[in-house]
Amino acid sequence: MAEEKKRRAVATQTAAGIPKFVRGNLAATLKAKEEGKKVAKAFIHDGQDEIMRAMDIVPAWGESFSGICAAKRDAEKYLQKAESDNFSRSLCTYATCHIGFEMIREELGGVMPEGAPWGGMGRPDMILGNGQLLCDPRFKWPQALQHYLRDVPVFVTNMYYPPWDPNIDHHEQEGFYVRYCTEELHETVRFCERVTGKKMDWDRLAAVVELSDRTWDLFVDTYDLRKAIPTPMDTGDAMNTMVPITFNIGTQEAYDFYVELNNELKQKIAQGIGVANPEKYRIIWAAGLPSWFALNDFQYFNSKGAVFPVEVTYRDHEKIEKLDLPKTDDPLEHIAWRWVRYWTHWYDAARKIPGSTPKVARIIEYIGDYKCDGVVFHSAFSCRSWHAGIIHQAEVLRKVYGDIPILIMEGDIVDISSYNEADTHNRIDAFIETLDAYKNKKRN
Amino acid sequence: MTGLQNSNGLETADRYYAQYGSRAKELKNEGRKVIGYMSALTPVEILTAAGVVPLRLKGFMDEAITKGDAYMETIVCPFVRSVFDAAIKGRFSFMDGMVLPHQCDSMDRTSDVWSYNLGLPYWHFLNVPHVTDDPSIEFMKEILRVFIRTLERFTNAKITDEAIGQAIDDHNENRRLMRELYDLRKSNPPLISGVEMMKVLVAAMSLPVSESSALIKNVTEEVKKRKAPADGDRKRIMIIGDQIDSAAIAEAIESAGAWLVVDDLSIGGKIYWPEVDKTADPLQGIAERYLRKLKIATTFVGEGNTYEENLEARFGHLRERITGFKVDGAILFIYKYCDPYGFEVPAMKSYIESAGIPVLYLEDEYSTSTLARVKTRIEAFLEMIA
Repeated sequence: MAEEKKRRAVATQTAAGIPKFVRGNLAATLKAKEEGKKVAKAFIHDGQDEIMRAMDIVPAWGESFSGICAAKRDAEKYLQKAESDNFSRSLCTYATCHIGFEMIREELGGVMPEGAPWGGMGRPDMILGNGQLLCDPRFKWPQALQHYLRDVPVFVTNMYYPPWDPNIDHHEQEGFYVRYCTEELHETVRFCERVTGKKMDWDRLAAVVELSDRTWDLFVDTYDLRKAIPTPMDTGDAMNTMVPITFNIGTQEAYDFYVELNNELKQKIAQGIGVANPEKYRIIWAAGLPSWFALNDFQYFNSKGAVFPVEVTYRDHEKIEKLDLPKTDDPLEHIAWRWVRYWTHWYDAARKIPGSTPKVARIIEYIGDYKCDGVVFHSAFSCRSWHAGIIHQAEVLRKVYGDIPILIMEGDIVDISSYNEADTHNRIDAFIETLDAYKNKKRN
Repeated sequence: MTGLQNSNGLETADRYYAQYGSRAKELKNEGRKVIGYMSALTPVEILTAAGVVPLRLKGFMDEAITKGDAYMETIVCPFVRSVFDAAIKGRFSFMDGMVLPHQCDSMDRTSDVWSYNLGLPYWHFLNVPHVTDDPSIEFMKEILRVFIRTLERFTNAKITDEAIGQAIDDHNENRRLMRELYDLRKSNPPLISGVEMMKVLVAAMSLPVSESSALIKNVTEEVKKRKAPADGDRKRIMIIGDQIDSAAIAEAIESAGAWLVVDDLSIGGKIYWPEVDKTADPLQGIAERYLRKLKIATTFVGEGNTYEENLEARFGHLRERITGFKVDGAILFIYKYCDPYGFEVPAMKSYIESAGIPVLYLEDEYSTSTLARVKTRIEAFLEMIA
């Protein structure tokens, strides 16, 4: 029997509505067939969301599924199933958890495995991947999954952005990167048209993209409200409130969610209601996916008077105006510009801080804007995409920013075997003491 | 020039293997610029055309990582960590620069760690795509042009199409020569052991192409003169993986009573079979070789109409090697924390087994400290297929 932890408390009412969103996304994949829609196993932040929404393709989010299994502490059976066919435990556990689930379902002749979380996820009609600049499983997971779902077509696109190099002006490269991304997105559309038998409605796509842009802006405006002291919402909630923009971008529901969250945060600020009472320490969650089975650790921080008013994780959006996107009539080119500029717009900030990198420049900006006293990174052992290079970020931050308490926590995203709650809390306690000493030193 | 024309090829290979990078260091002392590079994905033709000394970087399996872990997470590929550890400890201090291609997350996500901490005069991250469609070929040509411009700035010399064309010819010739040497492993028993071959492969990647070709020729001539050893009844093994560059692995296989007769490694079979086509724009041929011909796990291949077609496109070359080299068993040797190769294991294993060839899958560190365990597994495998 899986050990299900008591659900963590959330500081905002709006965040409490997130499980409904997540269940809705899973249910949509199960209802798709009777609604005559195709299901695509897809990845977040691949630039393909709006294409799917405009073509009535229902996304089946593998990362979300595995995250739910982890949060319910019920991933082990799927991890073991994948391991039984030689998928190593050191591989991305988002992928191995989901592949293990699909392996079991195929062995059952397509019947949903008993106890699948929240009714499980629908079998895909297609698999969309992306050879992104930041995650090998985004093209290896689809390929590995097709070994078990042999009738399901796979399409992998490539969405790159110019890599950071202080000696190369990225502006000179943006043009051909955008051209490449745009062509790859057009290839994605052609693939989806083949599988669905339907043509893309380009006007509809343009409207979806326009809605996404507005959601990006609203999301950033809403999260900026967390600069308030005390902060009305911290990262513990943000790991939930990221769901609409991450999994439902391009939908009215996502936009409406942030309207509601925005209103609630403003109300809390007006009433002086914060996450921690009193709020003693403000920390940035500077990198890393969380351990989905241990989200209560955020509350442990809160219980010590520590809050996270800002995080880098799942904040993959910026005010559209700030990105200075060239005008285009092609919504796919717009997506491509938005994608490339989202990454490169930090490069100019990095150039202004000698010895810095874009990731560190961003952390420094947030430390200032959100008045943070300390920095926490989380390193998940099965994920190199987001977690290789964290030591370097911490080191560069120390060098170019100066003295600030830094904690690098260790765990995993899905595999609970890597986690020890007592040890984790001991490390948090020690970090809080460091924060306290740091604040006292600053005061004196 | 070295005296390779008159030297004993295998002895020279052994020396360059044992003193890895020593020839590049000599050339550096003679005034040449040395550029280290990682992985089979670096288009070495461009480096040759630039007139620099290309040195494929390797780690050192028999050395513990003593400094690198302070800079790089232990969840990074152990091979990458070993190379970085060697570099940060000064093993490649004679390098003027380095090229890191976008092979995998372990390279891509540590790019800043390398560039910032090594502080080399020249640094380039080559953003090789993972897919192979026509837009990707055009994109690859664009990033090759950027790469060429940075090298031109660094060397202060123009890299002409003629120079690239000549480099393509030289490297294609080098590949043909190495394949001739591989052919000498087809006999039973093979004329050159797996341990010797591993040393030649490693030595060859540490030399400028002309010297590498001279070395391979010498080895081939020497080996051809050999009489076949008597013990021809050993099992013939193929090894598959990425950068396995230590003779210790070959030794573990052969000391267990087998012959290592062929490989699909990124320092061996993977790079010596595919050539660059001669094209009007030489970058077209280079882009096509590195994206469409190199069979490495970080390049997505999936354009077939069926899964089975995709399997043939991904692994069909393995079947050719199995047949051509009369392979009895395959060892799939994958480093821990390697997503690109790790996710291939079930598909590749079942593909090879479907050809009637048993497969031993080993996941391990890049370290000789675990070799006793590996050898036990290999011995058990050989007993099983005996």
